[in-house]
Amino acid sequence: MSGEDIPAVSDPADALAAVAALRRLADRLEDAAVEQAMRSGWSWPQVAEALGVTRQAVHKKHARRLIAAGVKLRRR
Amino acid sequence: MAAIDEYINAITERAVEEARQEGAAAVEAQHLLLAVAAGQDPATRRVLASAGLDEQAIRAALEREFEHSLSAAGVSLSGFRLPRPSPALDRPKLGASAKLALERGFASVSRKRDLRPAHLLLGVLLAEAGTVPRALALAGVEAAELAAAVRRELPA
Repeated sequence: MSGEDIPAVSDPADALAAVAALRRLADRLEDAAVEQAMRSGWSWPQVAEALGVTRQAVHKKHARRLIAAGVKLRRR
Repeated sequence: MAAIDEYINAITERAVEEARQEGAAAVEAQHLLLAVAAGQDPATRRVLASAGLDEQAIRAALEREFEHSLSAAGVSLSGFRLPRPSPALDRPKLGASAKLALERGFASVSRKRDLRPAHLLLGVLLAEAGTVPRALALAGVEAAELAAAVRRELPA
């Protein structure tokens, strides 16, 4: 099996694995994108609105990590 | 604490760290596999080496599986150029696939005192679906054959 092929997703195993991989990719992208936005001076409400989640949710998920990484966070 | 408990603790802690570094929400079977491959148990290392696997080869296979599975949905990793995020602080919880792997490893002996480090590898290899068997297949290794090799290494 070659990693370069782009198979038609007719195989359930491939389709299910694609779901799992996309979830992992989305998690990674969220971590990177939220960090990038906060480093650029976005506020929690702006990031939350852009992601379509509540401010509390995005804060709970990312604040500790970003503070530990030394990111200067805007209060509001 | 018995040696086997120390081994299980060490492997679990290493798997937690693997997951945390990756930014994963949970510890999954692939993190256990990486931890087992980085461990020092001679029987485990022999079996993995017989299939041409070590920690680095497994890491490469997992990355290949990730890209391969994304490509099934028409997504290419090269399209994303975001900076690497800072690692999480929170300790990732044991995910479903890691729990199953541990349960299968423990269930492969009838008495706990028969449990050996290689049984952890066996538990990981007994998954018929999911990231681990797919990654191994991309590396040219059948998980079931490797599981049989582990059983041959273990005392009957």
